[in-house]
Parts: sequence; C-alpha cells; structure tokens
Amino acid sequence: MSGVDAARIETAFSLSFHILFAVFGVGMPWVLLYTEGRWLKTGDQTWYALTRKWARVTAVLFAIGAVSGTVLSFEFGLLWPTFMATYGGAIGLLFTMEAFAFFLEAIFMGLYLYGWKRLTPRAHWLTLWPIAVSGTLSTLFIVFANAWMNDPVGIGESKGKITADPWAVFSSSVGWSEVAHMFVAAMMCTGGAVAAVYAWGMLRGRRDRYHKLGLGVGLWTVLGLTPIQMFLGDWSARVVGATQPLKLAAMEGVYTTGSNVPLTILGYYDQSTHKIIGGIPIPDGLSLLMGFKTGTVIQGMDTATVADTPNSAVIHLAFDSMVGCGVLVFAVAGFAVATWFLRRRKGLTPRIPHTRFWLWSAIATGPASVIAMLGGWEVTEGGRQPWIVYNLMSVTDAATKSGGLAWSVVATIVIYVGLAAALLLILRKLATGAPPELDAGAGPDIPSQAPPAAEEALA
Amino acid sequence: MTAVNLMLVIIVLSLLAYALLAGADFGGGGWDMLAGLGRDRAAAEDQRKLISASLGPVWEANHVWLIFVIVCTFSGFPSAFGDIATSLELPLALALVGIVLRGAAYVYRAYGEGASLPDRWWSRIFACASVLTPFMLGVSGGALATGKLRPGSSPLAPFQAPFTILAGLLAVVVTAFLAAVYLCYDASLHPDTQHLVDVFRRKAIYAAVASGAVVLVMLPFFYRDAPVVAARFTDRSLPFAAVSALCGFGSLLVLWKKKYVLARATAAIAVIGVLGGWAAAQYPDLLVGVYTAQDAAAAPSSLDTMLVAMCGGMLVVVPSFLYLLKVFTAPVIEEH
Repeated sequence: MSGVDAARIETAFSLSFHILFAVFGVGMPWVLLYTEGRWLKTGDQTWYALTRKWARVTAVLFAIGAVSGTVLSFEFGLLWPTFMATYGGAIGLLFTMEAFAFFLEAIFMGLYLYGWKRLTPRAHWLTLWPIAVSGTLSTLFIVFANAWMNDPVGIGESKGKITADPWAVFSSSVGWSEVAHMFVAAMMCTGGAVAAVYAWGMLRGRRDRYHKLGLGVGLWTVLGLTPIQMFLGDWSARVVGATQPLKLAAMEGVYTTGSNVPLTILGYYDQSTHKIIGGIPIPDGLSLLMGFKTGTVIQGMDTATVADTPNSAVIHLAFDSMVGCGVLVFAVAGFAVATWFLRRRKGLTPRIPHTRFWLWSAIATGPASVIAMLGGWEVTEGGRQPWIVYNLMSVTDAATKSGGLAWSVVATIVIYVGLAAALLLILRKLATGAPPELDAGAGPDIPSQAPPAAEEALA
Repeated sequence: MTAVNLMLVIIVLSLLAYALLAGADFGGGGWDMLAGLGRDRAAAEDQRKLISASLGPVWEANHVWLIFVIVCTFSGFPSAFGDIATSLELPLALALVGIVLRGAAYVYRAYGEGASLPDRWWSRIFACASVLTPFMLGVSGGALATGKLRPGSSPLAPFQAPFTILAGLLAVVVTAFLAAVYLCYDASLHPDTQHLVDVFRRKAIYAAVASGAVVLVMLPFFYRDAPVVAARFTDRSLPFAAVSALCGFGSLLVLWKKKYVLARATAAIAVIGVLGGWAAAQYPDLLVGVYTAQDAAAAPSSLDTMLVAMCGGMLVVVPSFLYLLKVFTAPVIEEH
C-alpha cells in the first residue's frame, strides 16, 4: 500500500467514525435542553427519566467522540505532514478556536454529567447552554476549515509563509452553506436516531408515555428540520456549482459541457464511455436547478484531464444516496403534516397514530439521516479529489512518505470496529425502556406529577 | 516578547496543565492496574472506586489540554509539525491507541453495566492504556531532545536511545506519583474512603522514591544521548532542577507529616521543575538539529490573530475550568 492510499483510507475511516459521534455531541445537548427544560417547568417525571437516560447515552458518545477527535488532530501531522507544513498556519486560527470551543464543551459536560446533586436543578439545566453553543461553534470552526480546503479564499504570503485572511475565510459562502447544511444534518441525525430507538421500543410493545414522549421529541426534530435541510442542500449545490464546477459535474456525472443538462437519478457513471448507465434522466433538470432556465451551461468533466477529475462513479452514488435518503425523510415529513391536519379536523388523538406504518417510518428516519450525512461528506471530500486544497495542493503531494502505514490502517480499523461493537451492546443495554421507578400507574397520556425537588428518588 | 516566544510559553503552560491534571488521571489508571495485581479483591475494588470517581467529571476537560498543545503546535509551528509527527510516528500512534482505549474503557466500564465485556476486562484495558500513554508521550518528549530524529528516519528511531526509554519510564512513575498524592487528599474528604488515605500515602512515597531513582539513572544517559539539550540544561535549567529536587524531598516530608494539600503543591512544583527545565533547555529548538521555533513558525500575521483568539478564549475557558475543579474538589462517589 502506498503512503497516500494508506493515508486516505485511514483518514476516511477515522473521520467517518468520529463524525458518527460528533453529530450526537452537537445535537444531544439541544435536545436535552428541551427535555430537561420541560421537566423543570412541569415537574413531569417522564421528562426527567428521559433526560437522565439520554444524559448517560450522551456521556458515552461524547467520550468516544472526544478520543476519536484527538486521533484526528494527530493524524493531520502523521498522515498529511506537507499539507500541515504549508497551510497549517493559514487555517490555524480556525483550529485554535475549535480547540477552545471543545474545551468549553468538555468542561461543562463534566459539570452536567456529574453535577446532578452538586448544582441546583436550574443551574444544572443552565450548564447545557455552553455545551450546546460550543458544540455548535465546534461544528462551525471545523467545517469552516474544511470549506477553506474546498475554496481556499483570502490567501496571502508573509515572510515566505502562506496566510489566510480571517475576514475572507469567515465571509466565504462555501463556509456558511457547508456549516448550515452540516449543523442541520447533525440535528437530524440526532432526532432520527432518538425517534428510531423509541419507535422500535413501541413496536416491541412498550407503549407507555415515556416512549411516546421520546418518540415525539426525536421525530419532530428530524421531520421539522427536513424542509430547511432541503433548502440548505439546494444552496450548497449552487455554491458548489459556482466554486467547484468539477465537483458538481462529478455529482451528476456530467461529462460534456453544455446547456440543457439533465438531472440523472441513480445509475452508474462509466469512466470509459463518460455516460451514466441505468439512470433515470430528468431532461434539462440540472440546468434548471442551477440557473432556473434550460439554457444554463454546466461545466462538464471534459474541461479537465482525467487525473484532475474526481471519481464520478463514487461521487454520483454518494450524492444520490444523500438526496435519496433526504427525499425519503422529506416524504415522511410531508405525509406526517398531512395526517396531522387531517386527524385534527376529525378530532382524533394522537395526531400521528402509533401504527406499525408510522413506527417503521420513524425508525427509517434514523438510518436515512445518518446515511445521508455520510454520503454528503463523501461528496464533499471525494468530490474535491485529486486536491487536498482545491487547485493548490494535491492529495498525493500532501501525504506522508512513510511506507509503514499499512499496520496503522489495520490497527485503526480493528480498534474502532471493536469499540463500535462494544458500544452497540452497551447502547442496547441502556435502551431498556422506562426506569422502574417511573410511576407505572401513570397512564399513557397522564403525566406523573412530582416537583423537581423529588429528583433524589430517581437519581 | 515576540509572538513566537509567546506561543511557546502558551504551549509549555498547556503541556504543564496536561501533565499535572491529565497526568494524574493516567497515574490513577496505573494504580488501578497495581491494585488488580494484589490478592485482596475487595480492597482493590475500594481503590478502583476512588480512582474512578476522581476521574469522572474532569478527565475529558483535562485531556483537552493535550489537544490544545497539538493544535497550538500545528497552527503556530506548521513547518515542524509534520516532521515531528512523522519522525515520532510509532510512539505517537501507540500513545493514541492508549488515549482511545483508556477513554473508551473508562466510559464503557462506568456506563456499560457489563453489557459488552465484563467490567474487569475494561478495568484491565483502562489500566494498561493508562500506563502506555504517558510512557509513549515520555518517549516522544525525550526523543525530541536527542537530536537524532530526522524526517524519514526509522519508525524505531525514537526507541533506540536508553534515554528516551527512561524518559517514558519517568513519565509513568511521575504520573503515578501525582495521582497517589492527589488521591490522598481525595480519600481524606469522605468518611467511606478515609481508610484509603494511608494506602495512597504509602504509594505516593514509593512513587516519589522511584521517580528520584529514575531521574538519577537517567542523568548520565541524558548527557550521552541528548548532548545539545543536556549542555543547555547545565547552563540554564539548574534552578529548575534544584526546585524540583527540593520539592521532591519536600513532598516526602509533607507526606510523612500527613499534610495532603501541601503535598499536592510540592508534588506539582516538583513536576513543573522537571518539565520546565526540559523546556528551557530545549529552547529554541523544536526538533533539535532540524527546526528552531523561529524557522518553523507560521507567518507573523497568522500568529498574531491566533494569539488574540487565545487571549479571548482563555478568558472564557480558565474561569470555567476553575469552576469545574471547584465543584468537584471532592470526588463524586456514586451520586451522578
């Protein structure tokens, strides 16, 4: 295995692993703010029980996110030394700020997870704010660093070292569109995963209030954000078209530059014939989407050599996975809204019936959101190839020249797969339904009332 | 002070914070392992609980100091970072294995309820990883001083001088020393753990003696394997060494007198002396013979904006961090 292949595999694997945890680190605090806030306001023990359970899950996910994030910070140097040597100073500000955001997150996470008895209920709830805000800021800074690799703006030189003007970096539309798209994706993954867990519990017969509230929080988070995500995705695609035309061409398998370019759904891009095999073309679709008229010219992959073009076979598949999963969740959202209004007019409750169909739909939103998120990152990263910094430094030039990386790739995969397997077992154990202390006598829709001071009983 | 030097000061201070805070967390893991080797299962479990409780709320925040050191190094001294990382490829990769396994094993044991592997397996992994990490970081630090690392040198190069191995060993015994000293005070705060005070006091004394012994064995190798830094050490760092030695002996004395808060201070200063002395002797080199800090630094304008961001960031982070330490002065035993 050559250095660059090993470096790419290891980076792709460690990033994908890390991001699966990072999304929950970003999303869960916002969800906890809501559930613990509900408990403080109403004294309803069900909210308290949900909050406690999710706090435990967050503790585990956050810890794995933190250690796998540490691996990434070392890997910048271990795997991409030339990239860091050349551009480390230019993007250093973003990483420095990310480090501070992460610092705050870790500090307040400690206070939150272990402070149930040492802080007043209100102070305890307040510690979630810095966690949620700094988790979101971490996303912002890290994704901005990534956006800068896609669209290196504000480059200058000073004493032979490359610099990036912070104002230019922070006013990049690539940055803002990527950040917004990723933040909403993180929230959707969180909501979808929560919805999936509680829908699964209900399918298995646990139809108590605890599960209904849990399902509701997750489901409305993921469904409510889907229309926004559609809009943000459209914006991102436009920005990509403007700044990285070859990435857009690879996403849609467009080889020939021209107008009236179709949008192709599914299919496999054949590198030798430059055509998509087996796709469903929507005539003029891409031209219409990009410029609102059929005559919009789309730059194709014929404008660059094969070596300078991303691998459209992979990128198109990843892009369609993302869009497909997104559309699926969007359809569930649309159908849910229609059902909600219909049943409200008829005076039926619950507004969304807990039938098998709806529970399975809720389960689907979890994996769909996660697949869409990973697919989106493959488009972002794979679509930038062969560059690590777009049009400035190639991945091959950036990578380590060390020959002994194969062992490190294998070790990374073995350790991460082992940890993931153990984690799944632990999460399954944690997902055992409402705690027995929760008043079993409370019916499915009757909140069990108790003032927040009674937390001791459940703690 | 130039921006480059200011950046170095920030890195050294963060490294000290990491050593004093996260170091003790790793040291706790080492004692966890030794407790497991003994015959008395119940006593071992007692010690484990206290060790685990002392890590609980703080280990992640403590760990961030390392991320901070890494980020400052690659942002402030990008040219050197890649070569430092690749020439220390093997010890750093093994340190990462330790970091990942330590963190994962800790939370899996704390929250897993035995769902994946039995708790005692995670205990073992936690303990071994807690020893592996400081050892590898110690080797890495020692190897930076030797002046034998070059980009493209063998992955085993950092292990080929006795000095670097001893530096790794020193990191292990010093973290164990810090942990034992801190745990004496932790144990004294709660009636249920009072009986552990003497246990950790004894351990602290052993570890202090062991640290002193390792340092003595190390000294001749230091002058042989890292001549450039050792020569500067003689010139500049003797005050650090003196303070460190004084506080090392002082720690023994105050431990003997059972003054555990004071022991925390003397132990910390002894460690600051060792690391500070090394940092002063390392200056101005990052990778001896290859990069000085000045050569490797980012552009002045980049450094300046980073430093401004750091001042702003520290204004928020330091008070928050102190608040965290204050809230959890007494370890959280079975209440979270």
